[in-house]
Amino acid sequence: MATAIRGIELSKSFQHFQVLQSVSIEIASGECYALFGPNGAGKTTLLRIFATLHRPSAGRFEILGFDGNRERAKIRAAIFLIGHGSYLYDDLSVKENIQFAIGIRGWNPTDLEIKKALDQVGIGRFAKLRSRYLSAGMKKRLSIAKALLVRPKLLIMDEAYAALDELGVAMVNEYIRNFTKEGGTVLMSSHDRAKTAEVAHRVGVLNRSVLNEMSVEEMSAADAIF
Amino acid sequence: MQFFSVIRWIAWKDLLSEYRNRENISSMFFFAINVILIFSFSFSLDPETIKEIMPGIIWVAFGFTAIIGLGKSFLVEVNNDCMEYFQMLPIPKGAIYLGKFLGNFLFMLSVEIVLFPLFVLFFNLDILDQFLKLLLISTVATIGLSALGTLFSALTVQIRAREVMFPILLLPLSVPIFIGAVEATRGILSGDAFALYRHWIELLVVFDVIFVVVSFWIFEFILDY
Repeated sequence: MATAIRGIELSKSFQHFQVLQSVSIEIASGECYALFGPNGAGKTTLLRIFATLHRPSAGRFEILGFDGNRERAKIRAAIFLIGHGSYLYDDLSVKENIQFAIGIRGWNPTDLEIKKALDQVGIGRFAKLRSRYLSAGMKKRLSIAKALLVRPKLLIMDEAYAALDELGVAMVNEYIRNFTKEGGTVLMSSHDRAKTAEVAHRVGVLNRSVLNEMSVEEMSAADAIF
Repeated sequence: MQFFSVIRWIAWKDLLSEYRNRENISSMFFFAINVILIFSFSFSLDPETIKEIMPGIIWVAFGFTAIIGLGKSFLVEVNNDCMEYFQMLPIPKGAIYLGKFLGNFLFMLSVEIVLFPLFVLFFNLDILDQFLKLLLISTVATIGLSALGTLFSALTVQIRAREVMFPILLLPLSVPIFIGAVEATRGILSGDAFALYRHWIELLVVFDVIFVVVSFWIFEFILDY
């Protein structure tokens, strides 16, 4: 199977603080890879490097065969990040936010396609509501609706289940299962081992700037992973 | 084609947001009214004095209104990390600049058009015959102001002292715009022949081109460091 993400000896420092130290990682296409680790371990930093938001201090990486330093535009066309920010404009409605976020990428989805995506994530009836009135969970669902419309090859999810209720978690896991079945790759960070175990194929634990990999079974069986 | 589509989407989003929240437009409008009121009570309203001081009053009002409006232009992109979304888009970043610039320009120009009748009202100005010429100068000068304001708003939006830094960066560089605009406005209000103040409009156009092109080019580096 082709490699979706290849990170080689990646390091990242902010001022004098070393967040990542020689982290190497390889994730195949169609795989769901989950990152765990204590707060401040560098999970978000690693995800943001792969999302082309940070440049590594040392090391190199490839996403879908494209070089992380030289072919950022090609990488950006193929990935989608669901991060800590909602990327929403408070004074636009849910539907207008989707139209803008997808339209600016060069594709204008039809009203029907937008409605289908919003219904799929359970916020169809809020399409005309201004996004300033959405709860954190609804904003997360809206981000997933965007991902459904963008159809990226690589989906990066930072704290995948944060702010979601049980139904939301089930919906995200269902989406991840279908997405990976169709050949898409997911790189996610999480703090919930049980929920993650339902969809992850492999697990990495980042602790004190260093990445240790393990199987999902090992993670589920362990009393503590860091 | 996608380049122009990005410009259209950004301008649409900015104008629609402003139309709905009216946060910027109300602060700009009330600031400008204050300036007009203060000047109207400070100076004698005889026609000769008015002709002398009016260009300065108009551009003091427009200039400081621009500082209030343009300075907040990128604030909306920081609130929900929207700058990050822009950064990750597989599109030329200059198109984002041009979209923000277009939104700011239309927004500024519409405020200026609303303010002209107030100048007529408070200073007893007879500018109806000259309105199209004044609009031309406003348009050309506002292009330059919006070009610089959009760039410096993006540059300063992430720093803590942005309200101090924004005018410090904007005002010195916009001096040629203000000089050209004041001189051309003076020519119109004095009833001079167009040929006598045309060179000031040409100067404004030259600075517009320089500011738009340089800002477009720099923006790529601001967003994609």
